[in-house]
Amino acid sequence: MTLAEKRKLGSVLVVGAGVAGIQASLDMANSGFYVHLVDRSPSVGGIMAQLDKTFPTNDCAMCVISPFLVEVGRHLNIHVIPCSELERLDGEKGDFKATIVNHPRYIDTEKCTGCGQCRQVCPVVAINEFNCGLDLRKATYIPYPQAVPLAYAIDRNACIGCGMCEKVCLAGAVTYDDKTKITELEVGSVILAPGGEMYDPKEADSWSYSHPNVVTSLEFERILSASGPYRGHLMRPYDREEPEKIAWLQCVGSRDINRAKNSHCSSVCCMYAIKQTMIAKEHSAHELDTAIFYMDMRTYGKDFDKYYSRAKEERGVRFIRSRVHSIEPVENGNLRLRYVKESGESVEEIFNMVVLSVGFKPSSGVETIAKKLGLTLNEQHFFRTGDIRPVATSRDGVYVCGVSHGPKDIPQSVMEASAAASVATSDLSSARWSATRTPQLPPETDFSKMVPRIGVFVCNCGINIGGVADVPAIREYAKTLPHVVHVEDNLFTCSQDTQERMKQVIREKNINRVVVASCSPRTHEPLFQETIREAGLNKYLFEMANIRDQNTWVHKNNPDLATAKAKDLVRMAVAKAEYIEPLHQVKLDVKPAVLIVGGGVAGMEAALGAAEQGFQAYLVEKTDTLGGMAHQLRKTWQGEDIPAYLERLIKDVTNHSKIQIFLNTKPVHFTGTIGSFTTTLNDIHTGNPNGIIEHGAAILATGGREYRPEGYQYGNRPDVMTHLDLDQAMKDTPATVMNADTIVFIQCVGSRNSDRPYCSRVCCTHTLKNAIELKKIKPGMNIFVMYRDVRSYGFRESLYQEARALGVHFIRFDPENPPQMNIAENNILTITVTDHILQRPIVISPDLVVLAAAVLPNENKELFELFKVPVNAEGFLVEAHAKLRPVDFGSEGLFLAGLAHYPKSIDESIAQARAAVSRAVTIVSKDGIMVGGVVAAVNPDRCAVCCTCVRACPYGIPFIGNEGHAVIQQAECHGCGVCVSECPGKAITLQHFTDQQLIAKTRALFYQPAMNE
Amino acid sequence: MIVADRKPLVEIQEMVANSRKILVIGCKGCVTVCNVGGLKEAEILASSLRIGRNKNGKPMEIDETVLERQCDPEYIAQLKDKVGNYDAVISMACGVGPQFLSEAYPEQKFFPAVNTKFFGGAVQHGIWEERCAGCGTCVIHHYDGLCPIARCSKSLQHGPCGGSSKGKCEIANDVVCIWDLIVRKKMEQGRLDDLRLFQPAKDWRTARDGGPRRSIREELAS
Repeated sequence: MTLAEKRKLGSVLVVGAGVAGIQASLDMANSGFYVHLVDRSPSVGGIMAQLDKTFPTNDCAMCVISPFLVEVGRHLNIHVIPCSELERLDGEKGDFKATIVNHPRYIDTEKCTGCGQCRQVCPVVAINEFNCGLDLRKATYIPYPQAVPLAYAIDRNACIGCGMCEKVCLAGAVTYDDKTKITELEVGSVILAPGGEMYDPKEADSWSYSHPNVVTSLEFERILSASGPYRGHLMRPYDREEPEKIAWLQCVGSRDINRAKNSHCSSVCCMYAIKQTMIAKEHSAHELDTAIFYMDMRTYGKDFDKYYSRAKEERGVRFIRSRVHSIEPVENGNLRLRYVKESGESVEEIFNMVVLSVGFKPSSGVETIAKKLGLTLNEQHFFRTGDIRPVATSRDGVYVCGVSHGPKDIPQSVMEASAAASVATSDLSSARWSATRTPQLPPETDFSKMVPRIGVFVCNCGINIGGVADVPAIREYAKTLPHVVHVEDNLFTCSQDTQERMKQVIREKNINRVVVASCSPRTHEPLFQETIREAGLNKYLFEMANIRDQNTWVHKNNPDLATAKAKDLVRMAVAKAEYIEPLHQVKLDVKPAVLIVGGGVAGMEAALGAAEQGFQAYLVEKTDTLGGMAHQLRKTWQGEDIPAYLERLIKDVTNHSKIQIFLNTKPVHFTGTIGSFTTTLNDIHTGNPNGIIEHGAAILATGGREYRPEGYQYGNRPDVMTHLDLDQAMKDTPATVMNADTIVFIQCVGSRNSDRPYCSRVCCTHTLKNAIELKKIKPGMNIFVMYRDVRSYGFRESLYQEARALGVHFIRFDPENPPQMNIAENNILTITVTDHILQRPIVISPDLVVLAAAVLPNENKELFELFKVPVNAEGFLVEAHAKLRPVDFGSEGLFLAGLAHYPKSIDESIAQARAAVSRAVTIVSKDGIMVGGVVAAVNPDRCAVCCTCVRACPYGIPFIGNEGHAVIQQAECHGCGVCVSECPGKAITLQHFTDQQLIAKTRALFYQPAMNE
Repeated sequence: MIVADRKPLVEIQEMVANSRKILVIGCKGCVTVCNVGGLKEAEILASSLRIGRNKNGKPMEIDETVLERQCDPEYIAQLKDKVGNYDAVISMACGVGPQFLSEAYPEQKFFPAVNTKFFGGAVQHGIWEERCAGCGTCVIHHYDGLCPIARCSKSLQHGPCGGSSKGKCEIANDVVCIWDLIVRKKMEQGRLDDLRLFQPAKDWRTARDGGPRRSIREELAS
């Protein structure tokens, strides 16, 4: 068989269902592939589900991830396979056979409704791993309330086999005789996202981790969490007292080759420790003293330095630069830390509690998978990946993302997940939509102008509702409500058989509005909407009354009042149902093309990615050459050759039949909505039109540049240069550099100051790399690095170790007292800096000074205004969500990549560009986009063109159209309702939540039969 | 636009304390744009009054409507069949509204629901500032687009006065000294010498000082 004839499969396998695995699965399933998502644990979510808040926005982690969990759980083209592992992988890229081991769960996920009866009767307790062992759970358990799949599991290690759960399970889901099974899956490619684990501080005894008041950072997350062991009440485990002083010790199990044998930096601990100090202060009723003991504060990400400053300056968090050796338990459950201040003074301090900021290690699955699949690991036992192909493993067709190939934060994991999704499917594009399923639905019945005929289904939810409230009474009450033509109660309204019955009843009784009184719409509304749609009803002809989560669960001790409240809730739902209208979504055509603005590495990778996926790419560049900043770079941090890569990339982009390149061009006009945009391109010099293109999505990769420093005699002397100048000199005239006997590198020139309060992320690595290279060529050279914090995050820490081993001198300075440059009369240059160890100024006479200059975004005000994309105070583009939508803009159909987003290394730019492709392909791979539904609609007659909606919309969607009234595009509206509540002319309505519907609902709430009858 | 503030609820309640049937009329002009007297605000006021009366055990009937503008007789005329049926009619327009209404329907009692404040604009959502004093003789061009008549507490034509301190006016530290801004802008633009130009005493007859004003456009009026 030739290569071309080889079979390409339209399904893919994702191993690991943490946030990275979830993102990769959603991207691929939404762009035409059938996804098998395997995870060892009983549910998806990974470590993110355990977090309390996320930095730097302090958003609730569960609130952010929960919609993603629900989408994965309900996606027609994602097959979630919990309690399972990848055993072997045969075949090759495009046509693999994956062998999966399915461990027994002892509860059938298909039958389990998640009612929780089994847990209530289970007599056995076991350690609750989800809460890090800080409390107990039953042997029959669900890891956390939002878990997907929403099904219980039995921990057979703890289970005593009493059979109680089987007896009470009304759904018949308990299967004690469940056995390990082997299944085989045929997939075209594999993405590995097994994630990481936290370092276990038990491995060394100097941290006294056996003491209850010494907790790991993940344990502290659970302590802070409202769903955690203490319900969010800040207490220390030893005596449940509220602590008044807490210390955080950084780099526990990271940057430690002595006790932990982990040389890498874990990349996230500085930020999460800062977050925990701030959140802990919020949770504390009294003044809480928090201190972070650290070596370098590595707040290198977007808005991270501002977060750090806020903690230090506004919240009074103490930052103490000292690595504490050991924790000494003293009386009353307190802990003594001894540390040395920067002045050299030794101090003892007592804390009520100590948090160990534990680092990442690869998940235990990484090594197993690597062995089974024949993949290479790096020195730290993570999957080995390169810089130029950042998500490819050593085996063709197998890709990685997330922490399993290096410590990283959530947005970086999510970006890589999308990148992996796009790379993993680019060879399978011929099989797109070949393995996916589409629902077969009957046509919708037209009920317009018909009297409402409402059917009410009251759920017992096992005994969750029926065990508290009087369900038969609620049922009989519902029969008395206006327009109700059918009422029944079910054991489980969500069970398969009830769904079938519901469809039958709808048809038989001509029901045209359905009310279900059961659990939460968050988990179940889509299911019921699907069911009524299958019976020919528009899915919006549905209303739900939450009589479980908001009633019987919280009023267990008041059954009578719970019954009364359930009646109120049902009456309200029926009242609204009377006025609900069918909403029809409209299908908009999609132009299968992507516009990419910016021809640097990010732009070219994006264009190539889109073209490899089979879509037309238009690559627009304002200069006359492709390549951008990368032309000035020599090697990646791992030593890969950038010029050779760049040459190959330019060639590939130029020769690809699906890429059209526009040089010397800028977009001048841009209209349309997601799936169908039109952009006019002009020649940048002549102003003449270059073309009008139609595209379904756009990616902005407008790049950045190096700051030209002011001060330090930069520009006046040949012996003062920036990093890029040095790189250029090393290429062109290496002798001028190598003649130097002493070189000084000054870090943070133009970064982390009041003008640019951000870290430029790449400069520390750049300095380390150049210092090592120089030292290797000329070992006798004196190299001094003057720094504030060395931010060699992740595996880049190995460069720091190497530089130190080679004898590079590192001198730390404070921002208040930066290195001073003096030029003597004889033109001799000296640098004076206060050494933090000697605590006195030292003078160095270098032959060369290298300034680690900041990275600035390119200024593109007009362009950004044209695309209506937001820019932050520093000029970087602002993504839709700092954590889970790192390459999307708030406006649908627009994406970003590269330095325009934030300073980043070339491997990170490549990953982000590929991620943007993945997100864009979820749009352009479809033949149409459904728009409408629960969105805002403007009544032009009432519009006073006051601009209130324009200003109030959090997504920047409304505008005042040429027609003379506000316009809100259905395709772009998120349906949040803010404009509706703000509009002073009452010109805007949120469909499905109209005034009429909500007023009917509130009137029903206050309806008092005694007064009216 | 004309910027107004809603009167305190208690004041409006007192105005209509003895009325049993009330109509609230919003205006779709300036007061809608400054979020004080559009349909939404009219409905909110009506609801508030209704709740207040129900609480006090003196329920009443209250309706709400909105006119395109309350400063044109044609729109006022649209209320012809309505106004007679109420004990009280509350206008949510600027001071023009209740007067046009009273002139058109002399039998009916009208009440203002807003305090009309100034001519200005929204500097951001929810914040409006005065920009024009309606003095009748515009001199903005002398001051690079910054009006000292409306924005200087003393309407000085040759400022600043001794009460200017660190960019703020002496009357309150949240009031910007416009003269500080004018001088700075002139300096930035290299036009400071413009301020040497003598401005004669302002003729205030075109402002309110000349008595009530009218504007006649003969080509339109004839």
